[in-house]
Parts: sequence; structure tokens; C-alpha cells
Amino acid sequence: MTNVKVHSVAKTYGTTPVLSDITTEFPEGSFTSLLGPSGSGKTTLLRIIAGFIKPDQGVVTIGNNDVTDIPVWGRNIGMMFQSYALFPHMTIAQNVAFGLERRGIKGAAARKEVDRALEMVRLPGFGSRTPKQLSGGQQQRVALARAIVIKPSVLLLDEPLSALDRRLRQEMQVELLRIQRESGLTTIFVTHDQEEALTLSDKVAILDKGRIVQIGEPEDVYERPLTRFAAEFLGDSNFLTGTVDNGAVRLADGTVVRTTSTLPTSGSKVTLAVRPEKMSIVSGPTDDNSLTARITTVIYAGPVLSYMLETADGLPLKLFAQNRDGKVLSDGDTITLSWAPEHTVPVGD
Amino acid sequence: MKPLGRIYLVAILIFLYTPILVMMAMGFNASPLYELPFSFSLQWYEALWSNTVLLTAGLNSIVIAAITAVLATALGTMASVALSRRTFRGRSFLQLMLLPPIAIPWLITGTAMLIFFYWSGIGRGMHALLIGHVALAIPYVVLVVGTGFRTIRADLEEAAMSLGSTPVHAFFSVTLPLLYPSILGAALFAFAVSLDQFVISYFLATPGYTTLPVQIYSSIRKGFTPEINAISTVLLLGSMTVILIFARFAKPGDTRDKR
Amino acid sequence: MQNDRLTSASERGPLGPRSRRVLPSWVSTMVLLLPTYGWLTLAVFLPLLTMFVFSFMSATPMGKAPIVFTLKQYRAFIDQPYLVGIGINSLLIGFWTTLFCAVLGFLAAVALVQSTLGKTREILLILILLPFWTNGLVRVFSWTMVLRENGFLDNLLHMIAPDAGSIGFLYTRYAIVVGLVHGYLPYMILTCYIALVAIDDAIIEAASSLGARWWTILFKILVPLAAPGLISGSVLIFIPVIGSFMEPRILGGRVGVTMGTVIEDQFTQAFNWPLGASLSFTLLAVVLAIFATFSGVLRRGTAV
Repeated sequence: MTNVKVHSVAKTYGTTPVLSDITTEFPEGSFTSLLGPSGSGKTTLLRIIAGFIKPDQGVVTIGNNDVTDIPVWGRNIGMMFQSYALFPHMTIAQNVAFGLERRGIKGAAARKEVDRALEMVRLPGFGSRTPKQLSGGQQQRVALARAIVIKPSVLLLDEPLSALDRRLRQEMQVELLRIQRESGLTTIFVTHDQEEALTLSDKVAILDKGRIVQIGEPEDVYERPLTRFAAEFLGDSNFLTGTVDNGAVRLADGTVVRTTSTLPTSGSKVTLAVRPEKMSIVSGPTDDNSLTARITTVIYAGPVLSYMLETADGLPLKLFAQNRDGKVLSDGDTITLSWAPEHTVPVGD
Repeated sequence: MKPLGRIYLVAILIFLYTPILVMMAMGFNASPLYELPFSFSLQWYEALWSNTVLLTAGLNSIVIAAITAVLATALGTMASVALSRRTFRGRSFLQLMLLPPIAIPWLITGTAMLIFFYWSGIGRGMHALLIGHVALAIPYVVLVVGTGFRTIRADLEEAAMSLGSTPVHAFFSVTLPLLYPSILGAALFAFAVSLDQFVISYFLATPGYTTLPVQIYSSIRKGFTPEINAISTVLLLGSMTVILIFARFAKPGDTRDKR
Repeated sequence: MQNDRLTSASERGPLGPRSRRVLPSWVSTMVLLLPTYGWLTLAVFLPLLTMFVFSFMSATPMGKAPIVFTLKQYRAFIDQPYLVGIGINSLLIGFWTTLFCAVLGFLAAVALVQSTLGKTREILLILILLPFWTNGLVRVFSWTMVLRENGFLDNLLHMIAPDAGSIGFLYTRYAIVVGLVHGYLPYMILTCYIALVAIDDAIIEAASSLGARWWTILFKILVPLAAPGLISGSVLIFIPVIGSFMEPRILGGRVGVTMGTVIEDQFTQAFNWPLGASLSFTLLAVVLAIFATFSGVLRRGTAV
């Protein structure tokens, strides 16, 4: 079975810890995104799984085989690089056949596999061209074909779409997802693009300073972030701080905010995260949580209006609203906003 | 401004090429004392054919240059692999250590070699010339091949390894074919450096084993005939050809990745 | 069938024989570097060290004569005052050669950048650099054909003024400088050109749109921006020129006595190797001092 596990993996460069004690599992056939800012260690983790980097400690297993001491070329991985990394001196067919040849598959058998792989990435008949004659998107498809034709145990993608323009990137996302589903390959995908991570993955892992701060299904991670960092990095968030009082949270100005999540014991400090799109502007009294704020800026972005707000205490808030009636409110107006208790998530620091 | 600039460039070219062309022309002038008016003759080129001293020296030069090209290219390419593709302590120091053979006046390097080779028993002659020429050519090879490396993305080898290549196989199947033009260019360059080298050869040659430039120098100082012009013309055209071929190979455009 | 084979290949997991452990990378790095640096040590570094030792000997070691160490070779400039004059002569030749190369080369680079484009510029560059990579000795020899009495220059003159005397100036210091400028000019053109092509055309256009005259553009924009090229070119010309000996010998004749020829004499005529070694090291000290002074500029220059 080709699930991938890393167990207490750590890596330090000089005195800088890049990864500290990572333990996680990538189930068979799953598509997991490693999401984080640059320097979070996501690429290092991918390269440790690939075998380009040897961890200082810990174990990597692929399909229940301990591969920690096996170099890249013995791990049977498929990898896609940010720069495509197609061999410029070989034809497309030779590129795709490269890994097959290393596995002793040559001649007609190899040609058949190559043709099938190229068909899969929708580039049939491109075999005799050279990488130079292909567009960026086509080169990336060839790179994908080259990675999957060897039937790897795991597919590792190192920001493969970041060099493409927006439209092409979306097209490739769909393609990538289709091929991953068809092939059933366990896939690990490094990206710093949160939208891409949410769209593609079964699971999202958010990394910060060498640790996985949260891993779970995209909806889970988005709706119930565990830390302030996770809430901020994946999407936008408002943060309210207060003290736990009798099953609710009392803010500095006395407002009581309720939540459906479990809170720590009374008297302890707590930070609550609320997504800007979960808030709405109300005209009358409401049973939900509510606050009064003044509009500092309205940003008109077509389907969505973004309101930059400020409470009487000077706390900045953001609110995203569907553009139903156009821009009716303007800077300086005071409004009441409300949101449901179930959208109020206590987060750690 | 534009026409003025062009006129100036033409003047510079005249300055650079007039003496060379005059020298070449005198090789076709009949007078042994370089007297004018000019009267065309091939006698000095014919005389060259029976001048075994010059011909032997010329052959020596070519042999030395060829061996130098092979050795310096092999060694320099190896060093370039380490210097371009690996990080290790002392790398920038080692890169700095490539400069002395290029930057120190050859007179100093040459006399130092003479002293050391004499003192250590290595002596002078063909092997001593080879040791010197290869040392002078290596830095250029590392430079040229290193430039070639910069046009090849490092992740190509990683891609090969992810597909099952060992580092050695990845180097030979991916990097080396892409580096091939640079290596060939470096070899030509090393050949030219050796062919034109005079100062070092001058101190390391023996009366029995000289190279063409050394032989030309001693002829110039002892009194000479237009035969020297003839052989100099051949030498000059030879190294110009090598350098022009090099200029074609050194263009890295063909090997560069599209992006 | 095919498929089965593939699946089984992938299920074998780690690919059999290729999963052998590799050598630690420092071993292969050493193996790659050792031949080159071993060779350079044998051919350059050990010789320089030996020469340094020789420069402290009282006489060339021969036969069974005991080796005596002394500092007297480094006192040569005091003991033999004529060497001071020769040293100054060398420096002057170096100065004039570098100055002529700088002025002519800089202007040529400006002309290349401003007056030529594309293919023409490429061909011109190759034509300028081509002589540089041919045999220096032969090029110096070529000048004797031009400068000698009744040579090419005289013949040219006599075409215009048949009764004029000879203006051939072979075997003078001017001849040495002309030969050296001819030899090293392409270098200066190249370093200045590299510095100048990096300058955005827009800067010059902006300057002229602001009403700057050509001399303002030349001295306020082009010269300062090309300064790294001018300096690295000057250093890389001055150093070999003060160590030259074959150009002064061939073009200077009797007046062509320089540090280079004196050092050569110690090895080929006088057989006083210790004196030659100490003079070489004095020259090397000058070279290193120049490098140290301009190392910052040179590093940037070579990074281009």
C-alpha cells in the first residue's frame, strides 16, 4: 500500500531549525497540500520525502517501506518542478521515456507507455517535438506525463503551477485533479497559493516555522482554524480578544460574544476568529453576536464589497458582503454588524 | 555623432590590423632584406618546407597544444563541476586560487617554474612545457565551463534522479550533453592559449626541444629572413581560426532552457 | 501483460541495485578538485614558493658550494642605483601604455555602444578582440616591419613626400609603447564595453532630452558609469606591461631595458637566479599591491 508517513522528522541548517519534529501521514490516494509562507519548511519537507535532503532525525516510509536511508533514485517517486525541468536536449518522447528506461523498459513497450501518458495529459502526437517548441502549459503537461508514466509510489509536486499565468493555472488545476483521480496516486503538493490548496486537496497542511500547525480537510481547516496563524494565512480573519465569562466571552468594551465552540475556563484570556464574509450588516436588533462600528473605507470589487471598519475602541474589522444593491453605505457611516455564534472560533496563538 | 563613431572604429581597426597585414604581405615579398617595391613571390613559403628547425618547432607546438587542450579540459571540467554545483567550505578561496596563473605576469610565473623545475629535478623540455601550459590553461577552462554550467538549471539533474538516475548517470545523461558545447569551446580555448604561449615556453624550452614562438623569438633576435613572416602568418591564421570556431561554440544560446 | 510488469516493478519498491549507499559527497568533491589544484600547486604555487626561498640566497646554488642565505638581493636597488632608473622607466612605460589604452579604448567602447547595433556590433567586437587572442610575439614582430627605417611607415611617407627623411622610430621608447598599446588595447575596449552596454539607453536619452550637450553626457554620465571597466581594464593592462620583456627587447633594442628584461637577463645571461628571484618578487609585490587596492572594483568587474 502506498501511503506515505513521516515520523518525528527534523532538519536544521547550521543553527536554524527548518523542520522540527514533524509527524504526519499521507493516506493512499489522497491529495495533500503543504501550505505555508516561504521559509515555513514546506519545500524542505517535500524534498525530504523525495530523498533530496536527508533529515537529521526521524523516519520516512513510503508504502510501509522505511526509505529514510534510500537515495532519491531508489524511491520510485514522481516529481514535478516549478521550472518544469524538461531535458532540453531530448524530444518529448525521450523525456517521458527517461524514467522507463531507468527501469529497464525499452523499445515498443516503452513507446506504448509514452503514448498512453501523452494521451493522458492531452498531448497525443507531441512525442517528436522538443521542449523549446512547446508553450509553458504544454511543457508542464509533459513534466506531469514524465512523472506519472513510471507509476510512482507517490507524486510530489513542488509549486508546479506557480510559473503559469492565472488562466492557464486554473486550467492545469482541473487537469491535475482529473489525472490524480484517474491514477489514484498519493499526491503531495507544495504551494503558497491558498486558493489552489483549497480547490485541489483532500487535505491541507498548514506549516509555520517548521511545524505543521494544522492538518485536515480544507473545509475543516478553513471553518475551524486552530491558531491565529492558520486563520490568517488561509483566508482573512477578524480577531476579537476578551475574557471567558460564564460560557461566553466578554470583550474590553463589555460586549458579550457567544460561541458554540468549547471555551477554556472562566477568567482566562481568549482570542476569537471571525471570517469577514460571515459577518453581515443588520438594521434592527438581532439574537446573534453584534457590534457597532464606523466605516473607514469601502472597496468596490464587483461581486463583493469589502468594508474596512473600526469599533469605538479603535479595533479594526473587515466585512465582506455580496454586492446586492450596489454601494449604498459610504465612509464615515456607523453600522451594526452581526454574526452567528457558530462562526465564532476560539484560536490559539 | 554616429558617423564620427564609425569612422573612429574603422581607425582603430586600421591600427590593429595594419602591422599584421604588413607583416603578412612581407612574407610574399621576394626581397630577403624586406626591400620595396613589392614583388610577389612564394619562395619563403617554399623555403619553409625545407626548414626542419621551424617545422619541428611548429609540430612540437601543435602536439603540446593538443595534449594541453585534452588535459586542461578534463581537469578543469572536473573542478568546474565541484565549483559550480557543490557548496563546501573554502569554495571561494579555491576560486580565488585560479587567478594567479592568469593574473601574475608570465615572466614571474615562468622564471619561478624554471627555478623550481631545476631545483626539484623535473628539469626542462617537453614535460616541463606541458606542466606549465596545462596550469595556464586550466583557469580558462574552469571559467568557460563554469559559464556553461550557469546556463543549465540545477533541477534538471534532480529531475533525472527523481526518475531513477544515480547522480553519475544524471550527470552523464543530462548535464554533460548540455555542457558539451562549452567543453568543446574550452578545449579550443586551451589549445589557443597553449599555441600562443611564448613567455613560459621560453624559460622551459631546451635547445633540443622548442616551440614555434620560442623559435621565432630566437630567429628575430639573431637576424632573420621573410621565412619568419611566412611561418608567423601560418601561426596567426591558425590561432585566429581556432578562436573563431571557439566564438561559435561559446554562444550558450542553443543550450539554454526556454525560460 | 505490460501493465502487470509495470505494477510489479513499482511494487518492488526501492529499485534493486541502485539503492546502494553513495559515497559521502565531500569525497567526490575532493576527487573532482584534487587533480586541478594538485596541478596548480606543482606548476604555480610550489614554484613561487621556491623562488621566494631562492631570493634570499647569496648565489645560484651550484655543485657542492654551501648555500648562504642573505637579504642582499633585496638591497639591489640601493647597491646598484642604475636599477632605480630602470624601474622608473618600466613604470613610465606602464603609465603611458595604460593611459593611451584607456583613452583610445574608452572612446572605442563608446563608439561601439552609440554608433553600432546588432550584427555589425557583433562583427566589430570579434574583429577587435581577434588579434588579442593571437600570438603576441608575432604582433610585436609585425611592428618592426612598419616602424623600421625604410619600413611601411617610411614608404607611406615617401609616397606623399618623396624627399622626406625617415620617420621610422623603431628602437625607441615610443616604439615600445606603440607595440604595447597595440597588444593590450582590445582588453580595454572589452572591459569598457561591458561596463557601457549595461547602461540603459534611456539614461542618455533622458539626459539629452534635458538639454545635456555631448560633452556633458560624456563626462557626467558615460565616464563615471564606465569607471569600473576603465579601472579593471587599467589594472589588467598595467600589470602585464610592467612585467613585459619581449616587447622592449624587440621594439626597444638598446634603449629597451626594463625590469622585465633585467629579470630575464638574470635567468638567461647572468645566471644570477637569486637576484632575478628577488626582482621578480619585488615586481610581484607591486602587482599584489595594485590588486589589493582595486580588488573591490575588480570583483565587480569580473562578476559581469
